[in-house]
Amino acid sequence: MKTRKVIAALTVGSMLLCMSGCSEGTGDSESGDSGSGTPAAEEASAVSYADITLGEDYTDLEVTITMFNHRTDLDSPDYGGVTWEEYLEAFHEMYPGIDVQITTDTNYAEDALTHLQSGSYETIMGIPAVDKADLSTYFISYGDLDTMSSLINYATTWEYDGEVYGIPSTATTQGIVYNRAVFEEAGVTEIPTTPDEFISALLKIRENTDAIPLYTNYAAGWTMGAWDAYIGNNATGDPTYMNNGLLHEENPFRDYGDGTHAYAVYQILYDAVSLGLTEDDYTTTDWEGCKGMLNAGEIGCMVLGSWAYPQMEAAGPNAEDIGYMPFPITVDGVQYASAGADYCYGINRNATEEEILGALIFVKWLTEESNFSYNEDGLPITPGADTKLDFGGVTFLEDEPAIEGEEDLLNELNAESELNINNGGNDKIQEIIEHASNGDMTFEEIMESWNVRWTDAQNSLGVETN
Amino acid sequence: MSLELVKWIKSKKGQQTLIIFMFTLIPLLLLFVFTYLPFAEMVKFSFMKLKYTTPAENREFVGLKNYIDVFSRDDCFSALKLSLYYIVGALIQLALALYLATILSFKVRLGNIYKGMIFFPYLISGIAIGFIFKFFYTRGFVFDTILGWCGFDLENLPYWLKDQSINNWSLVATSIWRYFGQNMVLFLGAIMSIDPTLYESAALDGANRWHQFLHIILPGIKPVLTLNLILSVTGSLSAFEQPFVITGGSNGTGTYFVIMNTIAHTTQKVGLASAMAVVLLVIIMVCTAFQKMIMNQLFPNDELIIKRAKLRAVREHKRRLTSNNSVRFNRR
Repeated sequence: MKTRKVIAALTVGSMLLCMSGCSEGTGDSESGDSGSGTPAAEEASAVSYADITLGEDYTDLEVTITMFNHRTDLDSPDYGGVTWEEYLEAFHEMYPGIDVQITTDTNYAEDALTHLQSGSYETIMGIPAVDKADLSTYFISYGDLDTMSSLINYATTWEYDGEVYGIPSTATTQGIVYNRAVFEEAGVTEIPTTPDEFISALLKIRENTDAIPLYTNYAAGWTMGAWDAYIGNNATGDPTYMNNGLLHEENPFRDYGDGTHAYAVYQILYDAVSLGLTEDDYTTTDWEGCKGMLNAGEIGCMVLGSWAYPQMEAAGPNAEDIGYMPFPITVDGVQYASAGADYCYGINRNATEEEILGALIFVKWLTEESNFSYNEDGLPITPGADTKLDFGGVTFLEDEPAIEGEEDLLNELNAESELNINNGGNDKIQEIIEHASNGDMTFEEIMESWNVRWTDAQNSLGVETN
Repeated sequence: MSLELVKWIKSKKGQQTLIIFMFTLIPLLLLFVFTYLPFAEMVKFSFMKLKYTTPAENREFVGLKNYIDVFSRDDCFSALKLSLYYIVGALIQLALALYLATILSFKVRLGNIYKGMIFFPYLISGIAIGFIFKFFYTRGFVFDTILGWCGFDLENLPYWLKDQSINNWSLVATSIWRYFGQNMVLFLGAIMSIDPTLYESAALDGANRWHQFLHIILPGIKPVLTLNLILSVTGSLSAFEQPFVITGGSNGTGTYFVIMNTIAHTTQKVGLASAMAVVLLVIIMVCTAFQKMIMNQLFPNDELIIKRAKLRAVREHKRRLTSNNSVRFNRR
């Protein structure tokens, strides 16, 4: 009887201790959150990304973590590449105790925001479109920018106040996926490098083959928003343009007269549609179907990021016909392509210390050991890694972050102008096609209306222009 | 005091009150938490400038700016123009449903099979309908093929979703196809509840089917007709599913709701979208009140008419009974 009482008292005591320990932990992080400049100090006490040596540290760690991301295709056993299950198998060889529950979602960009907003979200998330100032509310910092830059590429993607909150899953570049056989049959021997060459290549395809020269994928919507990706580095050759130049440029959608800038990018689309170089009925295009059509040579090319390249190869028997070319804009004799991070892994700052440790290990393993980026035809994430993409003669640029104090300005301008550049602004590009097809608005008029919207947004936010 | 309370609780009356209270408490609580509370929150948002992820302390109060924007922007309020297509569609839908319900309420061979077939589209999920009709309207696919059998030449057929003068009608047709079965079932239920002796007495008075419809069925189902009309018109004002799943609101098919969705989720102007929602609510309330007024004008004092007709029918019935009886008496 007495021993039982003692045991009970001890249990209660230890429970109380645990609880106080827990609350202390949260108290710490909260104070770190509110105080300026302390997050770094707080992270230093915990394990940081850089300190972990894969395969040696914490191999006996037992924890269950969750992960939420957008790669639904990797869930299916039919996927041509490596599936999530296969990645996890490989991971468990090194870390058998860390159980990772992966959930994927086709409507990721929106649902991820809902998860974050609810306050209870997965241990590892692909960071959705949150304001950079709010990053530390949701995610832990992997370390300061200097340390992280030496370990990964694209460290600045989700950097705020010198802290890095996201590690890219893979990195993509922007170009045009095309069918080599169709281009050869049409008599296009050289890859077009300017808008004019590109349009004449499309004309040749229409004359000499049965293929649809350029498939717009209008109906899917987001495939239209993809055109925004070309107005920065590809069209200007200036890595500061997207996060700085564009924000302060007066009338950025005007005609620069030399086949560069946003004007030239969208004009390719407008001209292709008005010359009848796209599919007959754009309102009923079929995203899933287009992959097989490109593979079979029924489509000449499509404007999509390099992430689409492996999917087009896998969609039929003619993988070797599929090619990937840089976007046909040349700035002062040089072709540029932007390289940028895909979704970045962020780690839930409200998770327990063990979960955070497990998550750090898994993210590091995905980045350094899994070959994920190579398998997905991406650009290397870790410096010096291998890649399948070969853009001979093209200069790769990486968007530079906004200058201090303007981290959220692009977001604000996007919301204010509702152009939503690189942020789901699909309808404005769909409208280019509609106007080109109906002939009720010239390209100059469309660009002028965008200039007005952009200028109004700049004025209402008090942005200085030059 | 407490003893009395316990006594009261144990008494029959106490138990009744308590049970009524407990049973209503739960639905009321659910209603409050999931309807009125979020609604109040949304009204609050409509006076603010915020994104979904903006922390509570950074939300900026902007007064009536969002409401002014709703009326001054050329894509918000004017999107309600598209609702006219859907209102016309709703009227066609109700007429069709009422017509079929009337026919099927009389004895029709295989009537139940027709009812089932007509109701079936309502059971298909909206997303599936989106996919079905995207392919249905695709150039040279289902619809064009069927019209081809009827002798139409593909060259002369319009692009059902691409042609901006016709694509809203295509979507409205989908909407009619989906919902008229449901309207019909509601009408059918109401028609069935009409006292069948009324038809008989009307027939004796020399009324044909059209007169029966006009003077018995129509006033008899007035509450359901009003309800259906209100639901259809408010549904037209807030049309969302068909344009969203079939065209994504592109190419001039963006209804008020689709625009609101884009503003809320893509642009993340949550305040503006909330203001749009509040404005729509007011419009719907005004429309509903207006419709009720019109209906009351069209069918004044219908209860009285029905009561009178019933009385007449009963008298007729009695008269016939007594005359029958008298015949029998005579025979005896």
